[in-house]
Amino acid sequence: MKGCLTYLFLIATTTVSGQLDSLSWATTVWGQYRSNVLSQELGRLLQRGGYIERPLIEAAQAAQGINMGAFGYTSGVALDWCSLRPLRNTELHLCGSFQFKSLGDFRWTPEFFDLVFTGNAGHLGRWDVLDGTRMRTASWVELAVGVEGSNQNRIELGLVYRMQSYDALIQNGYFLVNEGLDYMTGSLRGYLGWAEGPSWGLVTNAEWHFLREEAPFAFHLRLQNFGFVAAPRWTELKIDTLIETSGLTLTGPGLSVESIAQLTGISDLTSTSTDRYRFDLMPFRISTAFEYPIGPRSGLDLQAQAGDWMPTPRASAGYRRAVSKQYQMGIQLVTGGWGRLRPAAWVRWRKPGQCAFMLFLEDPLGWGSSTAYGRGITLRYQNL
Amino acid sequence: MSTLLRRHVFLALGIVLLACGCKREPTTWTVDVALPLIDDGWSWVDVIEGASDNGSVDVTEGSPAIFRFEGPVADWGIPFLTELPDTIVFQELTPDFMGGPFPVPPGTVLLDSEEDIVFQGIDQQFSNLVLSAGRIDYLVESSTDGYVEFQYAFPSVTVGGESVELNVILPPSEVGAIQTESGTIDLEGAVIDLTGLSGNEINRIASRLIIGTPDDVADTAQVYGADSIRVQMHFQDMMVEQVAGYFGQESVAFDLDQEVFKPADFPGGFLQIEPTRAKIRFRNTVAADFQLRWDALLVDDIAVNHPVLGIPQLITRADWNGYEVQPTMWEIDLLETTPKLFDLLSYLPEAITITGDALVNPLGDVSGGQDYFDIRHPPQLYLDFEWPLEGAIEDLSIIRSFEFEGIDLAGFEGELIIKLTNGYPVQWNATGTWDYEDLDLDAEVFHAVASAFPMTDVVEVRIPIDEDRLSSTATLTIEAAMTSDGAVQFTGAERMRLQVACQGTYQANIP
Repeated sequence: MKGCLTYLFLIATTTVSGQLDSLSWATTVWGQYRSNVLSQELGRLLQRGGYIERPLIEAAQAAQGINMGAFGYTSGVALDWCSLRPLRNTELHLCGSFQFKSLGDFRWTPEFFDLVFTGNAGHLGRWDVLDGTRMRTASWVELAVGVEGSNQNRIELGLVYRMQSYDALIQNGYFLVNEGLDYMTGSLRGYLGWAEGPSWGLVTNAEWHFLREEAPFAFHLRLQNFGFVAAPRWTELKIDTLIETSGLTLTGPGLSVESIAQLTGISDLTSTSTDRYRFDLMPFRISTAFEYPIGPRSGLDLQAQAGDWMPTPRASAGYRRAVSKQYQMGIQLVTGGWGRLRPAAWVRWRKPGQCAFMLFLEDPLGWGSSTAYGRGITLRYQNL
Repeated sequence: MSTLLRRHVFLALGIVLLACGCKREPTTWTVDVALPLIDDGWSWVDVIEGASDNGSVDVTEGSPAIFRFEGPVADWGIPFLTELPDTIVFQELTPDFMGGPFPVPPGTVLLDSEEDIVFQGIDQQFSNLVLSAGRIDYLVESSTDGYVEFQYAFPSVTVGGESVELNVILPPSEVGAIQTESGTIDLEGAVIDLTGLSGNEINRIASRLIIGTPDDVADTAQVYGADSIRVQMHFQDMMVEQVAGYFGQESVAFDLDQEVFKPADFPGGFLQIEPTRAKIRFRNTVAADFQLRWDALLVDDIAVNHPVLGIPQLITRADWNGYEVQPTMWEIDLLETTPKLFDLLSYLPEAITITGDALVNPLGDVSGGQDYFDIRHPPQLYLDFEWPLEGAIEDLSIIRSFEFEGIDLAGFEGELIIKLTNGYPVQWNATGTWDYEDLDLDAEVFHAVASAFPMTDVVEVRIPIDEDRLSSTATLTIEAAMTSDGAVQFTGAERMRLQVACQGTYQANIP
C-alpha cells in the first residue's frame, strides 16, 4: 500500500515537474529505523523470521542495561513548494506542502524484554516492572497551504487524513515468582486503542529563518504537524487485573484450575469501550538548526529535534565542506532519538541555477553491519 | 520507450521486488519459564467428606478437634405416590343409520358430551395433583366427506392457569380414506383436579367433548352410515410433584443401601472411630401416618443388633398447615448397637444397609382424605454425628485424582515439581501416578514418605516432562496411606498440602 502511494506520488510529481517553472520546490523521501537495544540482526530476525540465538538476546540485554529500550521508525515522502510570484501588493508568496508519513514508537522496560525473550526462570525473586511499556503507530497524509515571506519564513495550515493509528500502553504492571516457586503475583493495567476508521484533522507548519548577510551564521526554527485529529469510533481494550497465588486450587470458588479451564478467553479479563470521537494530538516535531561558517568553504552545523514520539530529543553536530563547485559533503555525530550515539554523513550535488540533490545517511557504517542499531537514508531533490 | 517511462518501469519493478522480498518465516526463540501451578490439599473435611453429598461436614478445631456431621444421608422414594399409570381415553362417533349420504349443514353439533375420565390402575384416592412432567398424545380421525370440528376440553386440568383444551378441524376425507391429525399437549406443571364433574369423586378428570361441523365453512358435509369420527387421548409419563387425597393402607419396602467409604477413595486401612453422639432420624414430611419397622441393620453384610429392630414404630403425619412443612421425627441411637456399629465402621466398610418396611396410614383414613405429599420434600434419613478426632490409624489409605488439561507449549523440555507438605501428626506414604490420556506416553510413578508433623520436611519429586506430555490430558492420582504411632489426637487444623510447579524451556513463536 505504502509502495503504491509512493509510486503514484512520484509519477505525479515527475509528470507535473514540467509545469513548475513558476514554482520553487523540493521533494524529500526518507526512511529510518533505529533502536538503542535491538541490533540489526535481532531486528531482522524479528521482522523476517528465524531462530533468535540466546547471545543475540544477551547482547541486547547488555545494551539496554537498566534503561528503557526503544525502537522507532519513520518513513515518508514530502513535497514543499513556493510560488515565485508574490501575492498582489505584498512581499508574500503562496506556498504549500504535501506529506505522507508513517511513524512508529516502541518502548519497553528491561524486565519486559527479559520476560518476553528469556522468560522468568532466570530471575526468580525479582520484581519485574512493566510500567511504561508502549507501542504506537500512525500513518497519515497531509496537504497544507500557506504563505512565505522574506528569508523563507513561512506558515501553513494543513488538512490531515490519518489512515491508521494504534496506541498500546502498560500503565502499571509487575510480575514476580519467588525462588521457591510457590508464590506468584502479577498485575497489569493498560489499554490497546485504535480508531475504527480514518481520522481527519488540522495541523500547522511554520518555519522561521535567521538569514542575514551581515551575520556570519544562520539559524533555523521549524515546527511541523502541530495540530490534532478527530478519531471516529475510538475503541479501547482495557485490562486491569491482579493475580496473586501460590498456585491454583484444583476446584472451588475463585481462581482454580477448573475455572481457568472454563474461561472463554482473554475477554474475561478485559473490557472494551468505544468513544464516538477522540481528539488526538498529532505527533508534531520542533527542530532547530544552527550553521556557522569557519572558513570560505567549510562550516559547523548544530541541530536539535524534539517530538515525533522520540523518547529523547535528537541532537547532532557536524562539519561541512565544499569539495568543488558542485559537491558539498558533511559528517555528523548524532545522539538521542530512538538510538545511541552514531555517525552520519551527507553529500550534496548542485547544478547552479537549476537543481540540487542531497543524500543523507545515518549510521553509514551500519549499512554493512549486522551489529548496528539502525539505518537511515534521506534523499532530497531541490528545484533551484 | 521514453526516459520517463523507463524510470517508471524500473521503479515499479523495484517496488514489486521489495514486496516479494518481505515474505517471512516464523520467528522463534527459547524462553525459560518457572511457574507455580497448583496449591491444593486436603483437610479432615476433605478426607472424610463423601459420606453424604447433602450433609454439612464441620470440623471444630480444638484438642481434640470435633468432627460433626448433621444432615440427610438418604431420601426415601414412594413410587406409588409419584408415578401415575398411563391412561387412554377413546371416543368414537358413528351415525345410527345405514346408507346416505345425508347432508349436515355448517354449524351442526353432532356430539356434545360431558363425562369423567377415570384414571385406571390407581389404588389410592387422589383428589388433586400437580405434575412435574407428563403429556397427552392425541389422535383424531374422520372418514366424513365434510369438515369436522373437535373441541375436547379438560376444565379440571390447568397449565399456567389456563385449562387444557384441544381444538382440531379436519378437512373432508376422500372416499375410502381417513383424515387424521395427531399431536402432543405438554402437561409439565399441570394442576389437576381429580374430583370429576360432580366435585365429589376421586381419580377422575372432568371433560367435555363437542364434535360437529364448523360454522365458518360454506360446504355441507355429506355423511354416510359407514362414516366414523374417532378421538383418542393418551395420558403418558405423568410424574407427580404434589399429590393430595387418601393414600390408602399401602405397605412399602424400606431398603436403604448407603455407601459409606467409597473403595475408590478409601481403598483400605483402619481408622479408630469413637463418636460421642450418633443418632439417625427418620424425618417424615408426608401428611400421612407411617408404621415403620426396621428388620435389619447390616454393615457390609455383617448384621448389627439394635433394640428397636423388628418393633413397629408409629410415626405421625407431618403438618402442612403452615407456611412450611413441620416434619415429624423418629430417631434411634446408633451407639446402642451390638456389636458396636463404629467398631465396624473403623474398618472402612463400603456400605450400611437398612431393611424394613413402612405401612402408610396404619390407622386408616383418619384425616378424611387430607393426606398430602410434595416430592420436593421427601422423607429422609438424617444423621446427627459427633466424633472427637483422636484414635489410632493404620494404613488409612485415601485416593485423590486430579485431572489436568494439556497445555500447548512448543518444544517444551522441563520438569514438573511436585511438593507434599504433611501437616498431620501421622506419617503418610504417598504414591503418585501421572497418567497420560495419550496411550503412547508411559505413566510417571513416584513414591514419597512424609514424616509425621512437626518432624516433616517438604517432600519434593521432579518428573521430567516434554512437549508431548505437557500437551496431553493427564490425571494425577495420589494414593496416600496414614499410619499413626498409637492413638493420636488431631487438632482439626491438619492439612496435607500438594503443590505443583513447572520449570523448563519452550520455543516462543511468532508466526
